[in-house]
Amino acid sequence: MLIKLTGGRLYDPAHNIDGKVQDIFIKNGRIVGQPSDGAVVDKQYDIRGKVVMAGAIDMHTHIGGGKVNIARLMLPEDHRSDIVAHNELCRAGCGHAAPSTLTTGYRYAEMGYTSCFEPALLPVNARQSHLEMGDTPIIDKGGYAMLGNDDFFLRMLAAKKDQDAINDYVAWTLHSTQTMGIKVVNPGGISAFKFNQRALDLDELNSYYQVSPRDVLVSLSRAVYELGIPHPLHVHGNNLGVPGNMETTLKTISAAEGYPMHLTHIQFHSYGTEGDRKFSSGAAEIANAINKNKNISADVGQILFGQTVTCSGDNMRQHANAGLGSPHKSVIMDIECDAGCGVVPFKYKDKNFVNALQWAIGLEIFLLVDDPWRIFLTTDHPNGAPFTSYPHLIKLLMDKTFRNEMFAKLNLDAQALSTLNSIEREYTLYEIAIMTRAGAAKLVGLHDRGHLGIGAAADITVYTDNPDRELMFSKPDYVFKDGELVVQNGKVVKVTWGNTHTVKPEFDLNGIEKDLRTYFDKYHTMKLDQFKINQDEISANGRGNVVVHPCEGRREKTI
Amino acid sequence: MNPLTFTLNQKLEQRIDLSPLTPDQLHGKTIEEIRLIHLEFGKLRIPTGQIFDITGNDSNDIVFSNCSSKSDFIGKNMQSGRISVYGDVGACLGFQMKNGEIFVHGNAGTFAASGMSAGLISINGNAGDFLGAAYFGDRKGMKGGTVIVSGNAGDRVGDQMRRGVILIEGDAGNYCASRMLAGTIGVLGNVGEHIGFSMRRGTVLLFKPPKLHPTINDCGSITLPFLKLLFKSFEPLPTKFAKIKKDRVRKYAGDIANDGKGEILLFND
Repeated sequence: MLIKLTGGRLYDPAHNIDGKVQDIFIKNGRIVGQPSDGAVVDKQYDIRGKVVMAGAIDMHTHIGGGKVNIARLMLPEDHRSDIVAHNELCRAGCGHAAPSTLTTGYRYAEMGYTSCFEPALLPVNARQSHLEMGDTPIIDKGGYAMLGNDDFFLRMLAAKKDQDAINDYVAWTLHSTQTMGIKVVNPGGISAFKFNQRALDLDELNSYYQVSPRDVLVSLSRAVYELGIPHPLHVHGNNLGVPGNMETTLKTISAAEGYPMHLTHIQFHSYGTEGDRKFSSGAAEIANAINKNKNISADVGQILFGQTVTCSGDNMRQHANAGLGSPHKSVIMDIECDAGCGVVPFKYKDKNFVNALQWAIGLEIFLLVDDPWRIFLTTDHPNGAPFTSYPHLIKLLMDKTFRNEMFAKLNLDAQALSTLNSIEREYTLYEIAIMTRAGAAKLVGLHDRGHLGIGAAADITVYTDNPDRELMFSKPDYVFKDGELVVQNGKVVKVTWGNTHTVKPEFDLNGIEKDLRTYFDKYHTMKLDQFKINQDEISANGRGNVVVHPCEGRREKTI
Repeated sequence: MNPLTFTLNQKLEQRIDLSPLTPDQLHGKTIEEIRLIHLEFGKLRIPTGQIFDITGNDSNDIVFSNCSSKSDFIGKNMQSGRISVYGDVGACLGFQMKNGEIFVHGNAGTFAASGMSAGLISINGNAGDFLGAAYFGDRKGMKGGTVIVSGNAGDRVGDQMRRGVILIEGDAGNYCASRMLAGTIGVLGNVGEHIGFSMRRGTVLLFKPPKLHPTINDCGSITLPFLKLLFKSFEPLPTKFAKIKKDRVRKYAGDIANDGKGEILLFND
């Protein structure tokens, strides 16, 4: 079946196409070149004057796994306040901050997103996460496996095992959890919390294993690089949310030692200690450091005002924040010595000094980082705001007048401490396409997505150009997923099941598994062979395939 | 002006959510418009006109007649006006009600007055379990207002109640005032086991000796002149409590396992 999209205005940064009018042909789920004259076009869409981008990619969104389920369990009021009835195509669902799996998939697709990556997939909970993501329709999924606080890894570091052994363990984890990258959350800190440490700075030692967060970061970022994993080490740094933590963040950037590193939800790590309340914006310093260090990329984790829930592996910081939760309840737990989990509901308010400044800091970082290929649009769903607020965030970035109007409503003390309204920059559609498509695809390592070149997967979003960017991005005219029309006028018209993206680097299986088997038999709650997830478990029920991406390091050029 | 009257014209096979039918939401609407309002009925959405015959024009004075115990969420989030119900009502009567009055001439189901913050609910019949209690996941039950029950109430009356008054003229079930945070509960009849279980603060007025669990502490007899004022304040309300003129009580404090600032006041004969 040959589909033609006629006359759309393309924004395809991977090929330096900025608003050029061009036809797109789709065949068998892929974008193809102009067919020969005799070819019959089966279906034609007249999209003259409309904006065409690749399907958007959310490279950091908590859509599966234990913590989201705990949030769902803990917040029945979130469910009953946002109920979605079933229709002929879609099943019923509910939830604003922590929506049910099916609703998550529909809502993402209805916003023009076609791939989402779950950034905190605990190896011991990987099966649960994949089952949930398997229930998330339409979009492609993938996960980053969480390492750096697990007992086995910290024992390896403490025993000063060589880098090859650590590489083998990292590779083994990627294989056995069917994931796309490696994430580290509060390196060493989640573990330190269990030994009664309540804070851990970059060069402080975990009191039990006697290793520092810096050791963890250095060994993991090197492992990721040496294994050729396209996605750099995904780092949720130490001291999240602590005033003055920008020092830690700057030190973390230096701890990368030139290896590629992705700093996630950096807004929560960019706080200074100036002003009467000892809380200020470190956005300028952080943005400056990102601009200077080309090996560093970051996503923002913007907060937006309203009710949400924070779900994190960082039990140390979530424990400290639990008292600020609204409604006043929380879950802080250890998960089988593999990592931790903290869930605290939050209501961000524009009249609250801290919240207002957090909002401004996030936007400052967006606007002060020069290279849109290295900064990404996220709210760290649901931690800063639910993903359904992305169109609002895009409007804040693209419309200075609107941004300043919102700024004027903030807490006055926060306004006084922020330089946001003096920043003139407005993002262009091309830059938005970089942040949410081409750049994100490159960062994650999806070389056949996030762009509109020949041979790419036909994940395409078509918008009607509208000066109100919030309206424009919340209701695409058409969304194609692998060449199938799944959304029309912002409503799902077909339910498909997306792929699961993975990497499978080469490693010495027998060497590492000998140690692991002994360790599992001695300490673990399950057997090693049950811990490992088989590819067939994900694809067996007909809900999407497992796609294995090559491990050839980060590629600069897209196909 | 005649009361806007909804008469149920069939026996309900499924539960129905009547939350869209409150005085503030119907204000200014014609009967034709009201007939088209969608209601959640089991797994279907149906127009109001399909199951109700509608007459009258005063949206500030709504009457449900021939009502059934399958009709849930009557007066949910209600802000003003009056709802009168003839027949039974289902779960969550006056759920998170903000103000106004609801009179039920029949029995109420579970979670009546849950999350209510002001106004009056008068049930001329029995109330189910969780009267004025916190709904699933909520940290607070009733937060204000007055509830009068002329019959009996079920278990867990006022669970996590935060403020307001619940007056029960019949009996109350087990775990009355459990996890209560503040407010007042009065029971003229008997109460079940474990009254004041994990109660933090608040006042329970009893007229029949309860069976107390070990972490409720007997503080002896005491005269509290305040009680006369309390009962006097009930005078405008349609309740037997308004006629009580007593101030001598035996006081029990509890639950000592959880702060112990709650008081259970037993009136001597």
